[in-house]
Amino acid sequence: MTTSSLEANVEPELVKQWITELGGGPSSTVPLLQAIQGKYGYLPRKAMDLIVEHTEITGRQIYGVATFYAQFRLRPVGRYMIKVCHGTACHVQGADRLNTALRHSLNIHDEAQDTAENGSYTLENVACVGCCSQAPLMVIGKEVIGNINGAGAQKALRKHARGVQEVLPKAEKQSVNS
Amino acid sequence: MNAAALEIIIGEGTCGIAAGAVEVTEAFKAEAPTAKIRAVSCAGMCHQEVLVEVNSPKGYYKYGKVTKKEVPQILGFLLKGESQLAEEFVLVAPEVPATEANGYMTQQTRIALRNVGLLDPTSLEEYEARDGYKALRKILGLTPQEVINEVKDSGIRGRGGAGFPSHMKWSFAAAQQNDTKYLICNGDEGDPGAFMDRSLLEGDPHNVIEGMLIAAYAIGATHGYAYIRAEYPLAVKNFGLAIKSATAKGYLGNNILGSSFNFEIKIKEGAGAFVCGEETALMASIEGERGMPRRRPPFPAVKGLFGKPTIINNVETLSNLPWILNNGGKAFAAYGTEDSKGTKVFALAGAIKRGGLVEVPMGTKVGDVIYGIGGGSASGRKIKGAQLGGPSGGCIPASLFDTPIEYAALQKTGAIVGSGGMIVFDDKTCMVDLAKFFLQFTQLESCGKCTFCRIGTLRMKELLTLISEGKAKLEDLDLLEELCVKIVDNSLCALGGTAPNPVLTTLRYFKEEYIAHIVDHRCPAGKCKALITHKVIQSDCTGCSLCEKACPTDAITGEPKVAHSYQIDMAKCINCSMCVEVCKPNCILVE
Ligand SMILES: Cc1cc2nc3c(=O)[nH]c(=O)nc-3n(C[C@H](O)[C@H](O)[C@H](O)COP(=O)(O)O)c2cc1C
Ligand code: FES
Repeated sequence: MTTSSLEANVEPELVKQWITELGGGPSSTVPLLQAIQGKYGYLPRKAMDLIVEHTEITGRQIYGVATFYAQFRLRPVGRYMIKVCHGTACHVQGADRLNTALRHSLNIHDEAQDTAENGSYTLENVACVGCCSQAPLMVIGKEVIGNINGAGAQKALRKHARGVQEVLPKAEKQSVNS
Repeated sequence: MNAAALEIIIGEGTCGIAAGAVEVTEAFKAEAPTAKIRAVSCAGMCHQEVLVEVNSPKGYYKYGKVTKKEVPQILGFLLKGESQLAEEFVLVAPEVPATEANGYMTQQTRIALRNVGLLDPTSLEEYEARDGYKALRKILGLTPQEVINEVKDSGIRGRGGAGFPSHMKWSFAAAQQNDTKYLICNGDEGDPGAFMDRSLLEGDPHNVIEGMLIAAYAIGATHGYAYIRAEYPLAVKNFGLAIKSATAKGYLGNNILGSSFNFEIKIKEGAGAFVCGEETALMASIEGERGMPRRRPPFPAVKGLFGKPTIINNVETLSNLPWILNNGGKAFAAYGTEDSKGTKVFALAGAIKRGGLVEVPMGTKVGDVIYGIGGGSASGRKIKGAQLGGPSGGCIPASLFDTPIEYAALQKTGAIVGSGGMIVFDDKTCMVDLAKFFLQFTQLESCGKCTFCRIGTLRMKELLTLISEGKAKLEDLDLLEELCVKIVDNSLCALGGTAPNPVLTTLRYFKEEYIAHIVDHRCPAGKCKALITHKVIQSDCTGCSLCEKACPTDAITGEPKVAHSYQIDMAKCINCSMCVEVCKPNCILVE
């Protein structure tokens, strides 16, 4: 599966509803984009066009904001997000090994890619989730999983995948404690 | 004994939840359905999560590192007189003397954190029972100038990093004649490795609201914003609930407690940009623009958000205000030193035994925090130094741990008090790699407005990468220093102005590590991938095969259960060190 098949189906009514709730002035740009991304996981072009069409927010402004803030994504995401913390505490405690391990499990070897081929998971790097005493850590869905090493990250991923019945891309081999 | 006689208190802050607090709560509910179970937020003893406290007829007990497995035994002990959990779980008990781990709390002086971990953050009543909104009632009988004077007496300086005296800033805004003024609570907490503001917002949101009310009253603001970091969902949730309950009770809104004072608060969630912690960028972000700093003057106190006078205060600064108003500015100033008054919260993390939140009087020695409260090294390896103040701060070596935590004294070392991040590292942390890490961060987070910040940080990052790969020349160190000076001198905001600090301090205190990379092509800490190799010390190998399973590239081969049989194929090895993490007999050599 390619990421293009993960494109969201934008419902115009929903976007209009957010505009009613959050307002259409320039200061609503960030909250509107957050609402869109909260729903679709990224910012589909069509949703942004709808905002420009129905509010006083201009295309320049919405695109400027969408590209400025690290939170916003312009590409579709997998069905589940995995955030790996790369704050200072996590870096010092070996966060890069979590990435190596997870990329391996998800079979994502191209540095420019962050979503598994089968559309299951997207890997995202974040700067500190504020649980630095449990470094290094990752967040799958809403669950923070701390004090793990590379093998632990793989194990947590397998556990999550089992829970939500996702098939992990076939990695070359199984890892520790499976 | 009946379970109904028990009050069980579980730490359900973000870190507690990360450690499995929800499962523990479920287990208690299932096994002792009649007990009174309360969720409080993180007390800052993050190394002991999940924390469980029990008030029972037998006395007060506090357990650490609890998982759902321990739950039956805790209940068995308390209710049926069965045996107590092993010593390592029992932090406080009437029958055992105070333990060392206990000292983690007793060595602290908690003002900003005074309620965190003790009350249910979603309960307004619990906050009220601990003198909540008493300071608000008090200030309504004072003039704004009297409030400013009290805060002046406290000597408090901004806890967000810059350390600007709060009363002075307020005076500028108070002097402005304008119908609309704004007060913004800065909860962006950009330092990646700090979490005191998260704990305060999450664990005692009413205290932050009361602090905002005090600041707003002092400057004459009617509208407030709380700008909260995107990665803090629980903080946003708890703070939102607190706004609701405070409004319902008349602490927020129009004619607060029957007075003529009006104040409302809106939450703005950040969207993941470090630079938005900077005041003018933060305001641009609320206005719906790209968060780029602008030149001052005009200062925000004169012309800020939507062109109106605006004061921005950090979460921790605000959290101290209710205590200051209740106890008097002088009582706050009694803590600390001549130059730095009161207490400061630090987020202790990294290679430390007891990490978490620590609030100590200013003037406490760095070493007393790290060794005394933090218990020193987690691994038993030698502590090499600490990083204070995040990307704007600096690294100091352990030999300077006698330095008191004071604005001036720390500045002399090249580090800063900053917002309170304190990351400890041992000899496994490479200082070149750490400097590179910070420059990567600031380069990515530079908003791009100033050339020196935008391109200078990129050049620095490139040079540091070359050094970490053993491809640099000694002259490059001079170039690096020159870039540092130029970036500091030519940046509009403090992001660029302080970005070189991690490099300057590591060059100052750990130059030999830079030289080892450049001259000897060696990474002494065994971290920089281009300069290390992994090798199995075959004489120590037990044949456990864990390394083989962990290796993502199949570079390790051997015979399971056959000692001394494993070896690493250098051609396949990517130096990821995943094998080192799992190797029990510690037989993989990294050089
Ligand atoms: C790049 C940059 C990032 C900053 N990030 C934060 C932050 O995350 N939180 C914060 O309170 N202050 C931050 N500050 C400092 C604020 O600009 C400001 O000084 C502070 O919020 C003022 O509040 P205080 O006087 O109560 O400390 C940052 C400054 C800069 C230059
Ligand atoms: S550094 Fe990873 S949680 Fe803070």
